[in-house]
Amino acid sequence: MNLEMFETLVLPTKNKLYRFAFRLLGSSEEAQDVVQDVFIKLWNGRDQLAEVQNMEAWCMRITKNLSLDRIRARQRRSTDSINDAFEIRHEGLTPHERTEIHENMQQINQMIAALPEKQRQVIHLRDIEGYSYNEICEILELDMNQVKVNLFRARSAVREKLVKMNAYGL
Amino acid sequence: MDSKQLEQLLEKYWNCETSLEEEKQLREHFRGEVPENLKETADLFRYFETQQSQAVVGSDFDAVVRKKIKQQQPKGKSVSMIFNFARIAAGLLVVVTATYFVRQEVRKAYPPEIVDTYSDPKLALEETKKALMMISKSFNKAQKEAGKIKAFNEAEEKLQKQGKTEEMI
Repeated sequence: MNLEMFETLVLPTKNKLYRFAFRLLGSSEEAQDVVQDVFIKLWNGRDQLAEVQNMEAWCMRITKNLSLDRIRARQRRSTDSINDAFEIRHEGLTPHERTEIHENMQQINQMIAALPEKQRQVIHLRDIEGYSYNEICEILELDMNQVKVNLFRARSAVREKLVKMNAYGL
Repeated sequence: MDSKQLEQLLEKYWNCETSLEEEKQLREHFRGEVPENLKETADLFRYFETQQSQAVVGSDFDAVVRKKIKQQQPKGKSVSMIFNFARIAAGLLVVVTATYFVRQEVRKAYPPEIVDTYSDPKLALEETKKALMMISKSFNKAQKEAGKIKAFNEAEEKLQKQGKTEEMI
């Protein structure tokens, strides 16, 4: 791999990697550090990359591993610094509705952050990044069954909480 | 999409039976107006959409990565070169010191004085003869003793033969 390939193939994946790292770490700064580490790792090992078929999935996998290393290193999960970057693509809302949606978004963010690690990873990769089941298997190094079970549990947990939210809302 | 179709699709979604394409449809659908009872579900799909647009903060991210990569390249190589040289040097050092000590030990074990003890050849011959005689005497003695063992063997053989003849009878 040369610098040009790196620029066209690898660097554009930065936002996906960043979001995934952010989902796992809950810190924007750390997530960016992880993405940089992934790129440096990839660049240093670029001679052995010939056998990598899906570069993006490979990068995602390294992102997951490095993020988990960091989590283990600090031995605690931080979800407090989740930022408020919820740009809602919905025109013609009253300020009151905007606030309400914003609050709901934060609640959803928290319920996803509260999911067990594997479920959080799977639901992020599927529902936010839109990866196929096969790609998720490759990224998370899990088999198809585990991926589906984790996604099912994650969605069920989210659904249950949404129902509760709805009940309180009324 | 009418409300019945939507409900079916949502049910499929909760059961993890939707394809990526169908999940995209759901996200698109929830961008618009939604009935009151699906407000929270709509928020979930809106949440997914807003998350997709989250990007690396800081516009100089690419520049930082490029810089780090350039720094990485030569440094990595020179470090490994120095490391390789150090390995070879350490190996050589071990061999050299080992040879030195072994040679010293060898010198101690075989002092050079032992090579010549007699200056007169005649005297040396006499001494050698003496030594050889001593050896031959010892051999003779041993042969006598061995002769006794032979007698034992013969006696045993005789006994065995007798035993066999008795059995035949």
